[in-house]
Amino acid sequence: MKPKVIIGIIAIIGFTTLLMVNFSNSISTYTNFAEAENRKSAHVVGKWEDSKAYGFSVEDKQFTFFMEDEAGNVRKVIYPKPKPNNFEQAEKLVVIGNMENGVFYANDMLMKCPSKYNATGEEAQFKPAEAEKS
Amino acid sequence: MIGVWGKIFINAAFVCSILAAVGYFLYSRNDQNRYFRASNWLFGLQGLFLIIASGLLVYIILTHQFNYYYVFNYTSSDLQLKYLVAAFWGGQEGSFMLWILFSFLIGCGLMKWTRKPYRGPVLLFLTLTQVFLFSMIAGIHIGDVAIGASPFRTIAEAMPNAPFIQANPDFVPTDGKGLNDLLKSPWMVIHPPILFIGFAMMTVPYCFAMAALWKEKYNEWIHPALPWTLGANVALLTAIFLGGYWAYVTLSFGGYWAWDPVENASLVPWLLGTAGIHTMIIQKKSSTSQKASIVFALLAYVAVVYETFLTRSGILEDASVHSFVDLGLYTQLVIFMVVMTGICLAMFAWRYKRLPSQQRESKLLSREFMTFAGAMILFLLALIITLGTSSPIIGRLFTANPTPPEISFYNDWTLPLAIIAAFFTVIGQYLFWRKQDAESLAQDLLLPVALTCVATLATIMIAEVYDLYSMVFMLAGWFAVIGNGVIMIRLMFKNPMLIGGSLTHVGFGLLLLGILASSLYNSNLLDEATQTYNAAVEQGEMTDSEGLPVRQKANFMQLKLNEPKVVNDRYLFTYEGYTLEDQERPGQQEYRIRIESLDGSGSTYLYPQVYPLSAASPGGAVQWSVDPDVKTGLTSDLYLYVAGSSYVERRNEQIEEQKKAGQQTAATPDTTKGQELALEEGEQIRVGGFDISLESFNQTSTEGLPDSTMIAVRARINVRHQASGDAQTLRPLFAIYTNQGKSWSYSPPQKLQGYDVSFRFTNIDPQTGEVTLEVEGIDETYKEEWVLVVAEEKPFISVVWLGTFVLMIGFSISIFRHWNRERRKE
Repeated sequence: MKPKVIIGIIAIIGFTTLLMVNFSNSISTYTNFAEAENRKSAHVVGKWEDSKAYGFSVEDKQFTFFMEDEAGNVRKVIYPKPKPNNFEQAEKLVVIGNMENGVFYANDMLMKCPSKYNATGEEAQFKPAEAEKS
Repeated sequence: MIGVWGKIFINAAFVCSILAAVGYFLYSRNDQNRYFRASNWLFGLQGLFLIIASGLLVYIILTHQFNYYYVFNYTSSDLQLKYLVAAFWGGQEGSFMLWILFSFLIGCGLMKWTRKPYRGPVLLFLTLTQVFLFSMIAGIHIGDVAIGASPFRTIAEAMPNAPFIQANPDFVPTDGKGLNDLLKSPWMVIHPPILFIGFAMMTVPYCFAMAALWKEKYNEWIHPALPWTLGANVALLTAIFLGGYWAYVTLSFGGYWAWDPVENASLVPWLLGTAGIHTMIIQKKSSTSQKASIVFALLAYVAVVYETFLTRSGILEDASVHSFVDLGLYTQLVIFMVVMTGICLAMFAWRYKRLPSQQRESKLLSREFMTFAGAMILFLLALIITLGTSSPIIGRLFTANPTPPEISFYNDWTLPLAIIAAFFTVIGQYLFWRKQDAESLAQDLLLPVALTCVATLATIMIAEVYDLYSMVFMLAGWFAVIGNGVIMIRLMFKNPMLIGGSLTHVGFGLLLLGILASSLYNSNLLDEATQTYNAAVEQGEMTDSEGLPVRQKANFMQLKLNEPKVVNDRYLFTYEGYTLEDQERPGQQEYRIRIESLDGSGSTYLYPQVYPLSAASPGGAVQWSVDPDVKTGLTSDLYLYVAGSSYVERRNEQIEEQKKAGQQTAATPDTTKGQELALEEGEQIRVGGFDISLESFNQTSTEGLPDSTMIAVRARINVRHQASGDAQTLRPLFAIYTNQGKSWSYSPPQKLQGYDVSFRFTNIDPQTGEVTLEVEGIDETYKEEWVLVVAEEKPFISVVWLGTFVLMIGFSISIFRHWNRERRKE
């Protein structure tokens, strides 16, 4: 084999390995609070625990609430932005951040709201025309 | 009835396209003109049926026939005409139709302009792609298997299990759900059609490459294919630009690019198409790279199909803000993808041995090598972005529930490659127009290198850039702009039609400079208190009220009504109130923020909006959405959105109370007594956020009042809500009547529209002429009006747009050049 081909193959393998290693490091997995303790950054999926106090504080410049993850752990979450406008309606939350002393510091938060496309939500929205008028 | 016709026409078109494909296949094999003629007729018929079906779809949308699922799902009767028309491509089914429609028009062009021996196979493969697209909207049911989702489905067909349908199969909703508020933007009218023009045109190089493989004519196909590929590129680039601009001015993520899967979906075919353009140009000049041209032409289309699959199968539902939802087409889309890729691979493998390969290797310093290297970098970029976008699938190799990669993954891999590419463009262009050896090249490059160094050093000093990566990035950008610019100026004197390539590369350089500058200098605008707070957070000294350490900086600030705040020592921000608007989006508030430069260079206003999403969730809760405002400047943009306001909070409280009160709202006892205000004629007072003034009071007729009424007086009071500027005139009544020898006064309350406030006119002092008003619902203490704003200064975004425009112009010049040359051959 010509040396050029060998160099080429090594370069391709090297590039691909590096790319895949970097890719695997940059993706994360959806997890729960307990496992997030051991991670630098985690995506935790869960629901808002609405029986506990929550709210945005202008002084602290942060929004705090409690979230129950899919494994049933409830933790306090601190989000350094104003309360998202549709927070209460979200049926699922994804918080992205890290755990520290039992508190989850979210840098980002995604909300999955009852979608207008979602089949079940769709049917719930339907009311017969007569009922709507009354 | 129209629905039935719609379905008939779509399926007739579907059948025609299948027959046309068969006809073109026979023509390609036997070369008998009667097959070609017959297929052309079928192809035309297919187009005719499709146009009729599209007309019917537009008709049922415009006439609000909500018994059709598509009409119900994407429109409502109050929608403006432009959005009604846009609803045609607002959903998946309609957008497939639009795609085929463009594909059909392109097919007519190909029929006219493509020569033998390619024209048979080219039309065959084009029609084949249309067959697949038709199958997505056919809406045929064979047993339990459904093929496609028809845009003419009725609600009963779409949701047979819904309880109201089972109760009454002929049920017709009174109104539709309306277009998603986020899509109610003029960009919605123009962005999707251009994107589908791009997708449809990107099919053409694929068809030509397949035809080349079939007919084993590997050289000539690029001549007709090149202008089409360039055209597809311009269309996709325009669509990407429009999408980026749309996201920038209406979404609150604060930029023009977020590596969102749907954005990537249009970028990857563009990158592969551009790679194909590079190899086609080398092939044209020196008859090499035949294999690469074919591979890229095929890949660009496979990428279109793959990205269609990713965005339409629902697989990205969690990952993207705006992907479509699965319509049950998952299996069909997989088949589409597998078959298309399979045909490509099979054809390529079948011909592989007989494909021409390069005899001698290109030198490092040759235009062939440099241009090919450019194509390879574009290919790598496409590969990396596809990898990132495919994280829901490929990520499973590494972890169970993969999330999308961090943004840094894309940036860390694509930007260094772009920097390398920037250097290559200049060397490639210098080699492209003249054969050079290292020595003459060095001599030639002297001028641009010198200019680049000056420009880079000057920028580094002026802009105070001190990190090495940014310096290299900037050097690359300037080098691409100046190096290609010099060549362009030289070519301009020879023949202005030749500058397409160099102009495109200048655009690429500008784009890099724009990306660098806008990401480097993007700064949050904050008032002093917030800046101090952030500094304390950075030091780790900040704790919140519960004693927990604060780790995250704030990116927003509070502005109180009419209280100016100094921001970043350069601006004065004042919140001057809001107006309620009820036009496109009912319940929308437009906030007025005044921004004054402290150096006295004038002031400007920004009008960010907040609006409730019309698709309210059950229970009457409101979801609020924001629409930022951007003040575009030559060197810097001001970007601002309202993240929260006292109005929104009040509305939420009201809704919450209404929900709690539920059925008993009507029975609330009237026990609370309001405050009394004494006013003289012409006097104005401020109470709890309102300006109240007494204009006049006059005696009025006693008609409609009891016969015993002695006197009736109406006051004319003007009430103005300070924050919204909403002014109303109320005319409360004060009457005195006698009953059983006694006099009684009568003062019915008058409600202030839109507020929980009412006024009663309770007394007049005959001596002073002072009027007493009793006001309910206004607190004696003034309720503060405030907004939370996120403001950013974004310099040099204009350079990003400029780079994009230059790219478009460069590509367009090349289209004209190659197209004219191709036409002249006839």
